[in-house]
Amino acid sequence: MLRIIKIIFWALVAMLALWELPWCYNFFFTGGSPSVPFTLYSSVVGEFAMLDHNDKKFSYSDRTGREYTEEQFDSILPMFYYHQLVTDGRFPETICGVSVTPRQIQISNFNYRIEPAELNKPQIGLYQMLETMSGRVDLVLPDDVFRLTDTGIEFIDMATNSVNEKKSKAFTDMMLSKGFRFPAHRIAGNPTDRKEYDEGYVMLDADRKLFHVKMTKGRPYCRAIELPEGMTPEYLYITEFTARTMLAFVIDTEGGFWVVNRPSYDVVKTGLPAIDPNEETLLIMGNMFDWTVTVRDDVSRRYYALSASDYSLLDSLIYDTPSDAIKGLDFTSHKDKFVRFR
Amino acid sequence: MFRAIFYKERVKTIWYALLALIVSVGFAGYMMLRVSRALSLQGPEHIWIVMLQRDVIFVDMLKFVPMIIGLGFAIVQFVPELQRKSFKLTLHLPIRASHAVGAMLLYGVVALLVIFLPALALMWGYLQSVLPTELWQHIIFTTIPWYMAGLAAYLLTAWVAMEPTWRMRIVDGVIALLLIRIYFLSATPESYNGFLPELAILTALFAPLSLISLTRFRDGRQD
Repeated sequence: MLRIIKIIFWALVAMLALWELPWCYNFFFTGGSPSVPFTLYSSVVGEFAMLDHNDKKFSYSDRTGREYTEEQFDSILPMFYYHQLVTDGRFPETICGVSVTPRQIQISNFNYRIEPAELNKPQIGLYQMLETMSGRVDLVLPDDVFRLTDTGIEFIDMATNSVNEKKSKAFTDMMLSKGFRFPAHRIAGNPTDRKEYDEGYVMLDADRKLFHVKMTKGRPYCRAIELPEGMTPEYLYITEFTARTMLAFVIDTEGGFWVVNRPSYDVVKTGLPAIDPNEETLLIMGNMFDWTVTVRDDVSRRYYALSASDYSLLDSLIYDTPSDAIKGLDFTSHKDKFVRFR
Repeated sequence: MFRAIFYKERVKTIWYALLALIVSVGFAGYMMLRVSRALSLQGPEHIWIVMLQRDVIFVDMLKFVPMIIGLGFAIVQFVPELQRKSFKLTLHLPIRASHAVGAMLLYGVVALLVIFLPALALMWGYLQSVLPTELWQHIIFTTIPWYMAGLAAYLLTAWVAMEPTWRMRIVDGVIALLLIRIYFLSATPESYNGFLPELAILTALFAPLSLISLTRFRDGRQD
């Protein structure tokens, strides 16, 4: 008996050693991943442009090795530094042969981040459906929430904690009539009043068919979005950018990255290589000419330039960022918000 | 004989157990009072929205209370008996020493469950009357690792307290601290949901550790 207990004791000690010793080594003896320069694709020079910071000095260059002054750097990235160009009176009349105004740039620019930890975290399973056409400038949070059940959608009045049968039936009937099969496989929305407009939710039904569901003037709106042949969507991200030219991003089961355009509901595949949103962080910095997509994982930082018009791949650049950290037993990870042995 | 041991443990710990019960239920009641106050002052919509959008669970102050109660229970149950050297008398009872210590630990675990369960029941009873299933489960599931930490703190403190030498007591104490840390690794509500079975097994594994200290105690190990 005592032998078994001693085995338990030493197993617990071994578990703690595997957990804490690598952590101590990494904390005291490793320097983390090497830093990489700030990188954006420039449609003006047709290359990736880099801003680096070494020995308290900034250096500006592009991938071909051309060096730039700070002012020249502003000019080759006019969509990013347009405020500075306007302030200096250097804002050009045309960019890449297209006549643009600072206001157009402001509207078309967007940043979007996709993080594994946002995907893999505990979900409560209650959502808010905002009114998308209230007729007012400011969005207002609703006084109910909804849950998705095996047989329909259920709205719960927050003041009374009771199901609003009439509204639930109206939405369920509308969704069923559009071919939605419960239970839903996935749902994505951005239920906040701190945005310019609301597009409700994109959902995958039990057959992985894609739907757009929202509330307009108190009534349900549901639209089935036709998917290209052979594409199976897995992860959804609603965009709600100022330009209103896109509805959502979709990542399929093969890691392909797709854009759902608005208002046509066309689903267009981008030129991005396969990505894994459970393991990799994506940062998309878009403008009216190009998108710079940064994909970061444990060992590299990859930059992809996409055309903003057809989402084709223009260029790519990969920085290796190997880590000398040693791996031990762990319970948490920056890639999710769950505690477990890993 | 076991009944006599349970009686002895009850005599030793009854006042602490009552105090712990009051603290445990009192804290849970206070948390519910805060929820009730927020509901009446700001309306249910506010409570639901901050829970959905900001991960607020309203019971954060409860986090370390079960652990402190468990730690205190082990100290009250074992330290005076060990200091008065009357623990040796327990080991001379006409049952196996491991059974006697096992009965003492079983008493402690059951007492802690009696202290913790009314607090959980109070929270469940109130929350399920004002919140939908998803939200009250969100709160209750978040507190379960904290209550498990209370049991773990009790079992580990008993193990450390029974150790006869200070040198090993310090080593065991450091190990116990690191093990307790496992229960407080994430501030995200419900992050332990999938890990609760493993955490329960881990907690159960702490129970027999006291027998190592008991063996060393009976072997006459001294500083």
